[in-house]
Amino acid sequence: MASASAALNPHRYLMDDRRFVGVIFLVPALLYILLLVGLPFLLAIAFGFSDVTVGNTELNFIGFDNFVAVWENDIFRQVFGNTVMFTLVSQIFILIFANILAIIFTQEFTGKWFARFIFILPWATPVSLAAIGWLWMFDTKYSPIDYLLLQTGFLGPKGILSNSRNLYWLANPVLSQISVIFVQVWRMTPLATVILMAGLSSIPTDILDQAEVDGSRFMRTLLQVKLPLILPIMVIALLFSMITMFGDMTVVYVLTRGGPVDYTRIIGLYSFQIGIEGGNLAQGAAMALFAFPLLLALALLMLRTASRAEVR
Amino acid sequence: MTLLSKMLVILSLFAPLPGAIAAQDAFPTGTAISLLQWQHFVPRYDAWFDNWAQAWGEANNVTVSIDRVNFAELPSSLAAEIDAGQGHTIIELPSSPASYIQGLHDLSDINKQALAMFGKRLDHCKAITYLSFIDVYYGFASGYSLNHGNYDIELWTEAGYPHGPKSYEDLLAGGRAIFQSTGIPVGIGISSEIDSEMANREVIWSFGGSVQDENENVVLNSASTIAAVKYLAQLQNEAMTAEVFGWTGASNNQALIAGEASFILNPDSAYRSLQKIDPAAAANIGFTPALLGPAGAFGGTHILISVIPAYVQGIQLQAAKQFILDFTANYSEVTYNSELFNLPCFPATVKELDSWLEKDPFGSVPADKFAILKTAIDRSVNFGYPGVSSPAIAQVYAEHIIPNMIAQVALGKKSAEDAVAQATERVEEIFAFWRAQNLVGGDN
Repeated sequence: MASASAALNPHRYLMDDRRFVGVIFLVPALLYILLLVGLPFLLAIAFGFSDVTVGNTELNFIGFDNFVAVWENDIFRQVFGNTVMFTLVSQIFILIFANILAIIFTQEFTGKWFARFIFILPWATPVSLAAIGWLWMFDTKYSPIDYLLLQTGFLGPKGILSNSRNLYWLANPVLSQISVIFVQVWRMTPLATVILMAGLSSIPTDILDQAEVDGSRFMRTLLQVKLPLILPIMVIALLFSMITMFGDMTVVYVLTRGGPVDYTRIIGLYSFQIGIEGGNLAQGAAMALFAFPLLLALALLMLRTASRAEVR
Repeated sequence: MTLLSKMLVILSLFAPLPGAIAAQDAFPTGTAISLLQWQHFVPRYDAWFDNWAQAWGEANNVTVSIDRVNFAELPSSLAAEIDAGQGHTIIELPSSPASYIQGLHDLSDINKQALAMFGKRLDHCKAITYLSFIDVYYGFASGYSLNHGNYDIELWTEAGYPHGPKSYEDLLAGGRAIFQSTGIPVGIGISSEIDSEMANREVIWSFGGSVQDENENVVLNSASTIAAVKYLAQLQNEAMTAEVFGWTGASNNQALIAGEASFILNPDSAYRSLQKIDPAAAANIGFTPALLGPAGAFGGTHILISVIPAYVQGIQLQAAKQFILDFTANYSEVTYNSELFNLPCFPATVKELDSWLEKDPFGSVPADKFAILKTAIDRSVNFGYPGVSSPAIAQVYAEHIIPNMIAQVALGKKSAEDAVAQATERVEEIFAFWRAQNLVGGDN
């Protein structure tokens, strides 16, 4: 019967072949990865070992000179530290807020869909526009946040926080770092929340019913049932968020351009300043590649953790 | 407004065919050039330029299109277009594009032609477009804007300086007194942006320091630079707020308009904005030329550099070069319509300049407010002074090494000696890279 159908329509047989269909489905993703990730990555490696500039893309192999120069650059070490610090601190807050919000948004309450819609907006907003919005919020002179603090007595001549009318969010070393972390948490939390919501929704109800029958209350169900079950997906959310943040330079580019001094300068921004704005494409590429081993190790570690949690 | 000024306005409104544009030089049908430039701080200029460019296009049978972006985005836009091998025909930047030199056309021909047509050119306009080490003009500068002091007359008079500060010593003493008595600070940026870069270099030059010498040797680590860094740190601690560490391209305007700066270093754009919003407050703003330091007075210049990427070829290249020369020939209109923001690199192209500076056609009170700029022009230098603006100088700017060096000291994170030594180390690495490319001279 099957061979008769195939004889009538050979494409039908082909489309019934799981391996063939699998390859067809994978091709777009593979092309995307090869052309938009793999090729630029290989190009960055080639650039890193050459003396290429913006104006002269002829590849002259110069060995490890660029990597040595980057490693010996004192500023780079601070920049690397900033990148790791911003990523880790942001992830801690993202994880906490995303868990809380995912639990809230999976409960039933009036206006849930509207609340979800509002909440997702920071993630849906293009990052450059969002950063410009925050640039105005943190403006050194006309910050609305400062205005509110001034009106409530926290700033001003007898202010609790400062005698000045402004906190200089983006000009103070500590506040500028807090501002960058805040904006990253603000824009990345919705995505992590949505992923965790999907995880929470996928927990079989019979497990939760069983926990309830066994007398488990909210916190115990959360800590001993829900969180362990969504751990693999939580790790994926974290991984996705960390890699996005590690490579992002838009927020600091718009907010501070790396200042004051180098307090908010991160690898992505510094390699852009050296490679694109400074024309030294080779050293910019070498610097960007320093993030790769760390991200690779992180990804492998987290995927392994997720895989183990899944088996258990 | 003088009769001549009125005539110029009327002429520009009707978008006349500039004298240098000859109809017999018309290009073949289908010739098109595209321009990428910054959004001018004086809005009237962009409107005038659009009309002028279209008129030039019609007279020469060339389709002209114009795109504008924020000035800070111009270097990265140019870099992207060079590497893509396609993009705009002429890109105009207010900072040095020297590090892209290998992807730009040598414009020695039109630079020589311009000298023959317009006569003498100011030294700083040459130094930011000419790479002496390889004898190549990678750009063409037709004009520049001049950094000068803008001070609050009332505040400085009360502080005992009715004509504003003359020297950096005055700036510290007067600025500190004003800050202590009124809370109004001096506003000189120490941040990762072009105005800070310019202002910080002015102080270093005036104290006798510089990033390089005239032979392109790195000489940043000197007693003079250390003294300048210490001075700026003291000025920040005693007469400025932390705002200067987050200074942006808009900060000078914001501070002057809000009346929250006793002194800023800026071309006249901040003043012009204030003049439109509050003429009385603008009348209370006085100008000073570059301030005197122990080694003299040196004013920074934002030179407007036109470049043509190497991918532009054939008739399009010819049209682009013609456009640049004709634009330069019409610099009277440029200076006028930019409200004296754009000053000519070739003084002969704006014969009215002295009369405009002596009597501002845009209603300044007093009318001779801009006369001081005549002195300021004599004190102006290029970004790489005393050398040229090489690719290494451009990368030092791109990494914002100079303001960061100063900010570290002002924030108390490093001693001036350590900060200058660390900055010098990085500057030397940058120079070594570009020397290996045979684009920078010197040997250290």
